[in-house]
Amino acid sequence: MGAQDKPGDLVQGTLDMLVLKTLHQGAMHGYAIAEFIQETSNHVLRVEEGALYPALHRLELRGLLASDWGVSENNRRAKYYQLTGAGRKQLAAESERWTLMTSAIALVMDTA
Amino acid sequence: MPHERIIALWLRVKALVHRAKLERDLDEELAFHLAMRAAKLGGGPAAHLAARRQFGNPARLRETCRELWTFAALDTLWQDLRYAVRTLAKTPAFTVVAVLSLALGIGANTALFSLADVMLLRALPVKNPQELVQFVRTHPDGAMMTNLPYSVYTSFRQDRSTLADVFAFWASDLALRSGGATDQATAHRISGGFFPALGVNALLGRTIAPEDDRPGAASRVAVLSHAFWSRRMGSDPAILGATVRLSDEAYTVVGVMPPGFFGVDRSKLPDLWIPLAAGPAAAQAWVLGRLKPGISAAQARVQLGPLFRQALEKELERAPSRDRQAFLSQKLLVNPAGQGTADLRWRFWKGPSTLKILLGLTGLVLLIACANLANLLMARAAARSREIAIRLALGAGRWRIVRQLLTESLLVSLSGGALGLLAAVSCHGAMLGFLIRDPQSAALDFRLDYRLPCVALALAMATALVFGLAPAIRATGAASAGALNGKSRQRGAAQIPLAKGVLAVQMALSLVLLVGAGLFARSLRNLGAADLGFARDRLLLADVSPSAKTPAARQQFWTRLMERLPQLPGVSSLALAGDAVFGNGGWNQSVWIERPGQPARETHVSENHVSAGFFAAAGIPVLAGREFGAQDRENAPPVALVNRSFARRFFGGDNAIGQRFGDRGPASSGRYTVVGVVGDAKYGTVRERMRPMVFHPLSQEEAMDSLVLHVRSAFPPAALAPSIRREIRALDSDVLITEVRTLPQEIRGQLRQDRMFATLAGFFALLALSLGAIGIYGMVAYRVAHRTAEIGVRMALGAQRSDVLWLIMRETCLLLAGGAVLGVPAALAAARLVKSLLFGLGPSDPLTIVCATGTLFAAGALAGFLPARRAASAEPALALRSD
Repeated sequence: MGAQDKPGDLVQGTLDMLVLKTLHQGAMHGYAIAEFIQETSNHVLRVEEGALYPALHRLELRGLLASDWGVSENNRRAKYYQLTGAGRKQLAAESERWTLMTSAIALVMDTA
Repeated sequence: MPHERIIALWLRVKALVHRAKLERDLDEELAFHLAMRAAKLGGGPAAHLAARRQFGNPARLRETCRELWTFAALDTLWQDLRYAVRTLAKTPAFTVVAVLSLALGIGANTALFSLADVMLLRALPVKNPQELVQFVRTHPDGAMMTNLPYSVYTSFRQDRSTLADVFAFWASDLALRSGGATDQATAHRISGGFFPALGVNALLGRTIAPEDDRPGAASRVAVLSHAFWSRRMGSDPAILGATVRLSDEAYTVVGVMPPGFFGVDRSKLPDLWIPLAAGPAAAQAWVLGRLKPGISAAQARVQLGPLFRQALEKELERAPSRDRQAFLSQKLLVNPAGQGTADLRWRFWKGPSTLKILLGLTGLVLLIACANLANLLMARAAARSREIAIRLALGAGRWRIVRQLLTESLLVSLSGGALGLLAAVSCHGAMLGFLIRDPQSAALDFRLDYRLPCVALALAMATALVFGLAPAIRATGAASAGALNGKSRQRGAAQIPLAKGVLAVQMALSLVLLVGAGLFARSLRNLGAADLGFARDRLLLADVSPSAKTPAARQQFWTRLMERLPQLPGVSSLALAGDAVFGNGGWNQSVWIERPGQPARETHVSENHVSAGFFAAAGIPVLAGREFGAQDRENAPPVALVNRSFARRFFGGDNAIGQRFGDRGPASSGRYTVVGVVGDAKYGTVRERMRPMVFHPLSQEEAMDSLVLHVRSAFPPAALAPSIRREIRALDSDVLITEVRTLPQEIRGQLRQDRMFATLAGFFALLALSLGAIGIYGMVAYRVAHRTAEIGVRMALGAQRSDVLWLIMRETCLLLAGGAVLGVPAALAAARLVKSLLFGLGPSDPLTIVCATGTLFAAGALAGFLPARRAASAEPALALRSD
């Protein structure tokens, strides 16, 4: 369990945050999450499946996500993830931290 | 955070339970992803392929997710276990031999532990059992006696400083009259302090109180044991207030004890308890007590010493004929009795006792089983050296492989332990039957308690660790490169010296068992064939106690009995005696032998009172003079017969007739006149030496209330028993007939333990030998397989088959010689420990040792010969091409 708390593991932490943010709008399956992030970032961010699913499962194990089986838009059984209360709180905390961080970085970058 | 942890734990436990579902879900989730991606890429096989490529390695992803969900350590353990089961199942012969040999070793030890536990270790189910002590005395000759003169009890009651409580009891067999039949019942006659001191309560009604036991004003009350109540009274809840007739006295039932209560003597469960004062005055008793807080057993012994001596002196006043010096030099002992009275402990634990020998036997078996396991594991590790080397080369951690090998040995030991536990539990009854004459009457609680599985588990774990770790470390340790590049032969050979050493030790231990089995078997045969001095076949004995109260009425009963019984078909001769011709040994008696012109010579002998015809019925020859007859009436001069040992020792051979001795002090030495000499016989045990014995005629004594009937029958005597019982009951419907037994039965009963040792040692020796032979076979076969090419070269260069055979057999013979060199001294040392149990041979009996060693060599050589012959008959050309 300690892996996701490692300091400096920015990519990992960022992916988690992006997943939480994506699910803020409602329940989604893994493929849709990957597509959403890719589309929304104008294909700048590419989500690797090898990282996405472990991240989803890890978040679920941490109690930030809940999962359930549902039927997809093309009538197939798919596993849908949605935020839990703890997940929502975590998202708020991460967003705040992100805003703080980016503005701080921007300050440094703009000054130089 | 803790909340999250709990959720995670819960999800994982759920995943553990629904493991298959978890895997399915993961697969389905990934398949869905792939299908969606392929659809987006345009569908069709090419799109599927592209989706896959983009996806990466699904197995790795699955692995990562699975690790997230499961307990990693548990998972690898599970993996190891499954792998171990698979590899063990691939070599069933190895597995079966290893598991069964361990089951035997562990089972035997566990069974023994539970025997020792119930007989010696378990605390009495009474209040504060650790405070209880039993008072016993030791005779100057070292014998310990648990019965004390009753006056010791009365004088200990005066003590105020040492004992918090003191109580006494005495077991008597009484005639119990119920429903028209008379049976024997074992009553413990107890002092009033018995139940209060033990602090136990009745299941129904009450226990016996001190008020019930007032001398002169005792109440005739009885408390029943639970077993007796359910067996004889059908667990009648309305039993309180009912009357039982014991030896013609009416006792009122006032209570029933709970099922677990048996008093303080584990070896015999009484049927009921009655107050001491209610019966005839007690002469002796077992005495127990509770020490005051802070008083040790040693202090108690010192402080009670004067009271003990005072009681002995009082006894001497009552019976002045005793040997004063010897009587007064008896010592008091204070034994802890928290686990029950010393009787069982004494019988089974003191000296070279039963339990110690069993412990030695089972310990040897476990050692052999362990050596066997170590050997098998080593052979297995050697055979798998290539596989292990490959796994190490592919990057498996050494610890991981050691753990894997340990899992295997653990699995084998635990299966062996479980099987052994089952065997131990199921053979309880049989073991107990060997040890105790009448297991039903012993209050031994054989319910399986938690300690038994613990012992089995501990033995199994220890075996796996000690004997599995070394082979595992060796297998993974040595430079593994050699095993890969075809040099496995040398690697295998490196294991051989240790394997041979272990095998030699195994053979040495087997030899110890073989020698033990031989000694016990030969001793048993000697005991069975020993000359007892009387004719043992077709002799039936029965203890008979008529209900008649007066000597005259009893005399009439005995006379009529002797008139009626000879008319029964099959009775060829018949006699009565105060003590059985064999089994008890007669009564000890001091006698004074008349010596003309000198003071009488005092000595100790045994005596018996017998009817006319006794020596004919018993088959003891009358060597000189005459047997007892009708002329030896009550008012005729008192006469006696002596045996040959008596005549030799005191009258110097053949001139015993007409000599005189007495048994009532030095002045009585002219009392009895010797009228005949009979042949020597053994009276008590098969093992005893011939000793001086005197016989008196029953007809010159007041009629006794209990005699032993001796019947010599014309056909197998057991068939005669029912009609004899019927005849006796026809004379007296309240007669008590107990212990109807034949002489061979009596002897078999005495040799129970000898038979047990012979059987167990033989059985264990056979198994040990088989295990050793299997080990040798395996080792030689392995060696031969790895030396095929070398043998081919030798034969191609002209070696004969016999040369090759000898080349291989030499190794086996050296190993066996090593085993014998270790084993013979060990066996000699072990045999000395059981010296006192052997009969008719010494512990270093050469024949036994030669035979045992011969058997060991024969079995070992045969085991080595079979694979050696195969090697020697190989075609040189084929052998050269191998490997």
